[in-house]
Amino acid sequence: MATKAYDKSFREEVYDKVDAGEEIKLCMQCGVCGITCPLRDEMTYGPRQIWSLIRAGKRDEVMNCSDIMLCTSCYTCKVRCPRGVKVIDVMHGLAHYALQEGIVPRENTSKFGKFFWNSIYKTGRIDETEVPMRYSMRRGPIHGIFETLEMMDIGRALLSHKRMHFKLGPGIPPSKKIKGIKGLKKMLDKAEAMSPGKEA
Amino acid sequence: MDKNYACYLCKGCGLGEALDFEALEEALEDSDISEVKDHEALCSPEGVALIQADIDGGVNAVLIGACSARVKTDEFTFGKEVLVERVPLREQGLWCSEAEYEDEEEAGEDRQMLADDYLRMHAAKLGKAEIGEPFQLEEDVEKGVMVVGGGVAGINAALAAAKAGAPVCLVEKEDALGGYLGKMAKLGPQSPPYQELQDTGLEELVAEVEAADNIKVFTGATVEKTEGAPGNFSVTLSNGESFRAGAIVQATGWNPYEAEKLADELAYGTSDKIVSNVQFEEKAKAGDLGGINGVAFIQCAGSRDENHLPYCSAVCCLVSLKQAMYVKEANPEAAVYVIYKDIRTPGQSEEVYRQAQELGVVFIRRGEDYPAISGSGPFAIETQDVTLNDTVEIEDLDMVVLATGMVPNNPSVVEPPLVALGMDQDEAAKLAEEAKAASDDWSVLNLEYRQGPNLPTLKYGYPDSHFICFPYETRRTGIYAAGAVRRPMRVTQATEDATGAALKAMQSTRAAEAGVAVHPRSGDDTFPDFFMQRCTQCKRCTEECPFGAINEDAEANPLPNPTRCRRCGVCMGACPERIISFTDYSVDMIGSMIKSIEVPDEDEEKPRVIVLACENDALPAIDLAAKNGAKWSPYVRFIPLRCLGSLNLVWIADALASGIDGILLFGCKRGDDYQCHFIKGSELANVRMSKISETLDRLVLESDRVRVEEIGFGEVDKIPGILDEFMETMEEVGPNPYKGF
Repeated sequence: MATKAYDKSFREEVYDKVDAGEEIKLCMQCGVCGITCPLRDEMTYGPRQIWSLIRAGKRDEVMNCSDIMLCTSCYTCKVRCPRGVKVIDVMHGLAHYALQEGIVPRENTSKFGKFFWNSIYKTGRIDETEVPMRYSMRRGPIHGIFETLEMMDIGRALLSHKRMHFKLGPGIPPSKKIKGIKGLKKMLDKAEAMSPGKEA
Repeated sequence: MDKNYACYLCKGCGLGEALDFEALEEALEDSDISEVKDHEALCSPEGVALIQADIDGGVNAVLIGACSARVKTDEFTFGKEVLVERVPLREQGLWCSEAEYEDEEEAGEDRQMLADDYLRMHAAKLGKAEIGEPFQLEEDVEKGVMVVGGGVAGINAALAAAKAGAPVCLVEKEDALGGYLGKMAKLGPQSPPYQELQDTGLEELVAEVEAADNIKVFTGATVEKTEGAPGNFSVTLSNGESFRAGAIVQATGWNPYEAEKLADELAYGTSDKIVSNVQFEEKAKAGDLGGINGVAFIQCAGSRDENHLPYCSAVCCLVSLKQAMYVKEANPEAAVYVIYKDIRTPGQSEEVYRQAQELGVVFIRRGEDYPAISGSGPFAIETQDVTLNDTVEIEDLDMVVLATGMVPNNPSVVEPPLVALGMDQDEAAKLAEEAKAASDDWSVLNLEYRQGPNLPTLKYGYPDSHFICFPYETRRTGIYAAGAVRRPMRVTQATEDATGAALKAMQSTRAAEAGVAVHPRSGDDTFPDFFMQRCTQCKRCTEECPFGAINEDAEANPLPNPTRCRRCGVCMGACPERIISFTDYSVDMIGSMIKSIEVPDEDEEKPRVIVLACENDALPAIDLAAKNGAKWSPYVRFIPLRCLGSLNLVWIADALASGIDGILLFGCKRGDDYQCHFIKGSELANVRMSKISETLDRLVLESDRVRVEEIGFGEVDKIPGILDEFMETMEEVGPNPYKGF
């Protein structure tokens, strides 16, 4: 990191536009979140430093950092934070905000999230076959077939235990929709419109 | 007094089975005590009634051979007319004396000798003790309190004393009451939910002082002279007024650490926009905080820095939080930074920290290095950011505030090292001169004390005597420190502190009236008596008294002020002529105790060791160790001392001359973090001991025979180890060659 002046514009952007963004004001830099995170070895900064970077105004470092998409929502940090900061909410808020801004901090996570979301938005449920299938095809059908073959054993076991149903390919046959899917879509659209930075 | 003795021995707690009571009775044959009774449980109502019946029948000196004097005090107190001496047969005899023996008979024999010795020792002490009259001042005891300093602590101390019924004289050097409270714009949040700044409340306080009819206020005045002692101070003020006071509360507050000294580190003085927190507060008070869009507070500006103020003032963090709130209140958009080492917001003030964070104040943790300030407004700061592990820059700052710490508004007194006492006189004078030069040459109270006009101070110039154990107590009896002069503190703490000190002050006037000691020997009605005909005017007592109790009269004789005395006995230990004694504690009494120990011949291979133990910490620790089941050699005899500082070297000589093989001295921790109840008692004992080794060499005795140990009450577990090791040393050194002479 090069020396760079503190810039208040990014922290104000976070406070205003990121879901739960104001929470980080209360962080007192104790580091419990960082040390408690099961993914700390995978992270470049960890939550505590992310907060510091936000306060320092380092937009690029934060928005491009895969850390904000690594959170698995285990909730340990949120439970342990002595200041009651909703660490997870901020992390997801940041990830969401980055995508909104056209930044993809972590390709795989964002793709998976998209398929996951689409499944819910279109059918009202998670299709356990559809979502992984689409995910494995994310880099084209050839790559998808190889990735699927690697998972063959698990797939077979899941099928035999009826944890997964058989499909020929994404959307073949199409997933079943829940009753009242139109209502659910309306709700989700409304929630989207209410999210920070999008209020009319 | 005519003494009518009786001795009572207890057979309870296993003493009955372990000891031969006929032999105990024989041990007292050489004493004046002829009447010896025993009882199955002396502390039972029947046992106490047995003693009381004899007292009613004329007995007035009672020797009780049972448990330690520290327990069963209610049962074995028989009023002021009866001398009671307790023999700790249980704790120091029975409980601790079952060291490993193959031969049970020998074990019993050793324990019996131990009990016999204790009985003889305490009988000897009882034989020399007297009942004295408590000291009474010739004048009427003045109950009024003088409070010096009219800030938040002074005003509250005056109000507290006045409410409790004492007339108060409140002296303030400025023309109006208020001190630093008067210079503050607002107080930080003081009550739940700790979110709103509050008014200082000074006007209400001053109105309350003015409304009180027993508070006399002297503004624009300082104390010119204070003479006398608790219960009878006479004070002269700079405006010519004079009055009597029974006790004094010094609440002279604090001064800000001089920001000028931070010119190199933090560019103080290069711009009028780089200000100290006190200057910032003044601006806030004047309503001069408009137009600030960026400000940085630099915490620990000089604090916790060996080159400036080595300690933490404990208030600067909160002050900066409050001042950050001023800025945010005036302009919520302002960028406010606090650059800190550690945010220290103890207790509920954490909520204030939280509130400042909620308002959007940005906190940056720096390391030990000071941030670099550049520019002449707007300023830029380059600082280490510990969390980011990088150097960061902050720009566009309209103002930089240096959070400086608190310095006590009291002259710093550096005491010459104690080793100077009794040293080569030229050398001692030189050390004293150096110490004087290092002391600040002014005075708050201008005391007419031989040891100087000022309160002795701890290492940072605070006049407390023991910060944790004895709050408010200074080393001058009857003078109590309150507020920021005692330790750095904030307004709420100073308010509480003031009440504590005011009540202590009133307590000391009551003690002077009753002729008893104040803390830590509260209620002790003995006092040092000087046999002046034999005084050689060596002045050691006047120099060594930790409380400056002894002045000098016109003929250069020591002039004791018993109401200033705390009854530690340091003067008694200091006196080479041994002319200072208490009615129940004297050089002769302890000497007789030592001499009444029976020393077996060399060929019996039963060495004797005495332990002179401080009764404040070491003795309770010994009792507790015994109670916890610790065992040690039955050849050890404990002798309680009021303070190890009352140790007179003649005891060492007496003991060695009578064939005692070794002497252990148990005192409290000494040095900067001393735990001595009388400040320098254990230090003094150590200095005295450093001089004894050459005497021992001259007597062809090994200096290993005498050793000083520091024992805290928390170090109970260490005691058996120390004793065992010392007994081993005694075995190596061999028997005292003076045995049998």
